[in-house]
Amino acid sequence: MNTIIIDGLSFALPLFIMAIGGIYCERSGVTNLAIEGLQGFGAFCGALFAVCIAPYFAGDSPVPFYLAMVFAFLGGTLFSLLHAMLCIRFKANQVISGVVINILAMSLTEFMTKQINASIFKAASNKFVLGVSARVTVPGISSVPVLGAVFTNLYPFEPVIALIAVIAWYVLYRTPFGLHLRACGDNPHAVDAAGIEVGKVRLIAVLVSGALSGLGGICFAYSISANFSSNIYSGYGYLAIAALIFGNWKILPTLGACLLFGFARSGGYELVKILEMPSSYQDLVMVLPYVLTLLMLVFFGRKNHSPRALGVIYDKGAR
Amino acid sequence: MKKHDLIPFFTVLLSLVLGIVVIALLGKNPFLAYYNLLQGSGLAPKASYAGHKGMITDFTSFLNALTPMLLASLSVLIALKAGLFNIGVSGQMLAAAFVATVLVGYSELPAVLAKPLVILIGLTVGALVGGLVGYLRHRFNINEVVSTIMCNYIVQFVASFFINVFFVDPVSRQSKNIGAASRLTLVDTVVGDYKMDIPLGILVAAAAVAATVFLLGKTTLGFEIKAVGSSSRAAEYAGIRVGRTRVLAMMLSGGAAGLAGVTYYLGYFCSMQPRVLASTGYDAIAVALLGNSSPIGIIFSSFLITVISKGSTYMSSTAGVQAEMAAALTGIILLISACGAYVRERLDRWKENR
Repeated sequence: MNTIIIDGLSFALPLFIMAIGGIYCERSGVTNLAIEGLQGFGAFCGALFAVCIAPYFAGDSPVPFYLAMVFAFLGGTLFSLLHAMLCIRFKANQVISGVVINILAMSLTEFMTKQINASIFKAASNKFVLGVSARVTVPGISSVPVLGAVFTNLYPFEPVIALIAVIAWYVLYRTPFGLHLRACGDNPHAVDAAGIEVGKVRLIAVLVSGALSGLGGICFAYSISANFSSNIYSGYGYLAIAALIFGNWKILPTLGACLLFGFARSGGYELVKILEMPSSYQDLVMVLPYVLTLLMLVFFGRKNHSPRALGVIYDKGAR
Repeated sequence: MKKHDLIPFFTVLLSLVLGIVVIALLGKNPFLAYYNLLQGSGLAPKASYAGHKGMITDFTSFLNALTPMLLASLSVLIALKAGLFNIGVSGQMLAAAFVATVLVGYSELPAVLAKPLVILIGLTVGALVGGLVGYLRHRFNINEVVSTIMCNYIVQFVASFFINVFFVDPVSRQSKNIGAASRLTLVDTVVGDYKMDIPLGILVAAAAVAATVFLLGKTTLGFEIKAVGSSSRAAEYAGIRVGRTRVLAMMLSGGAAGLAGVTYYLGYFCSMQPRVLASTGYDAIAVALLGNSSPIGIIFSSFLITVISKGSTYMSSTAGVQAEMAAALTGIILLISACGAYVRERLDRWKENR
């Protein structure tokens, strides 16, 4: 039971932070299919930085990890500028821009990882090896039954994500900027009439999405694979998109969706272990979250509605 | 209008120039690298060939790689015409290929029966999966982007489960190779002095492109699809049954994806790797865009993208440029072409002001 909660949370939280970024972006009216690419590029930047500075720190020092998070944050922001430029400045089709950015991120990071490994580290390798990050247990609370598992064996990124998520929730629902952002996705002309620049609000929303995606990416790189390689592109970004649509573009229901994905996944793995089935049965279990999502959408999907101006390029002159 | 059709050519040209700059910055000869791409695709002669190999064998194996890309782009295009984004081409490909592999690929059927059957199964299974997505959109208002992503994962893991449990080859860790009778590519066929891979799928692809041109240009259904894609409200007002048209468009799109799947997994390759989806389905979205969303346009765009990916191996061995550079180049081409609409608008405005 504890393992299910611990592993489920460590999967759900990075997913959640990427989905929050997606919510910001889509609530402002910009479709974001680029999360997959943004998280990969962010993870690449973070991992590259961590590998570069690793020799200056002791093996178990947590500093490179936190710095990697900062750089993943920045890297994701930088790459999302591309999405913002295409969608807002160049008025490109937003879905296509997202797909293109995913393709570009995948090929660019793969190419640069190989090139940098060959030229700087003199090694023929297609990945950056990161340490496995240390895990912490909060003394006291962790001994409470069931609930205690939430505070056991935490990755250091989990409290950071929880903190950012709270801030993100507050900004989106309790500040004027959040109001403007949500209005941009539903009625951009009203926002414009109120004297606020739609393009600027959307730009910030896309950048936030990039930053949070990059953060989620480096968390996956540290927790699941302990290295950066093209394995980072195994669909976390798309899963985050599914979670946010499932959560009806609202932060709290999206958290529920992410937890569902996380626990279905860890619970499934645990089930396979307990029943002593061969590991190939894991695949069957992995289907669960996706089938669940589809079924839930079938039953509750009709109440869902996307932001009204989602995917529509803002045109001042349009009526 | 005529002038604007040249925009894709300019974007490609601009990207190739950017590529030249990047390769030159890496200290390699960009023109040699580009020439290597052509050589690797059998469009220019190499300096030397192994026994029974030549430019023509390189070219047929290039066509072999081109076939699934062309069909997958066609699939994206048909959905796009109806205003739908089929992100699930990869999943539909795998679903179709998996069923075809299990039912026909491992059977003892003679080639005359097996090959048409593979094509038929590919078409049917793809159409069913695509149709399901269309139905979910029509009946339950589930966005096709989400449902196709979900379908991708479901297909990927279910296929992976069955491959690992029943059909795995213990050495390669992939599914067992299919029999030669059901493979859509005639491997190592001796023609004159050469041993070449002849892709029969390219004929299927050509037929599919022709059928799409006819469908979109000359039939009522094609007109309805385009009407729904341009404005579903106007279409509804005109008495077109929007939901039904969307389901049909997704079935056609899925069918093309299924064909792409069988030519990919039972033609270009002869086995499936568990837990991996082909990137073809995602690349195809961008290829369809680069082809100006026209069935003839995607012939050129998939040709170009396949030259770059197919020739990259030879380029990395000869010019010393990492093969991943080719994928990055593809990404740059797609990125610039995504701005095409903006350039078009600017040109229009410039013309008006003149």
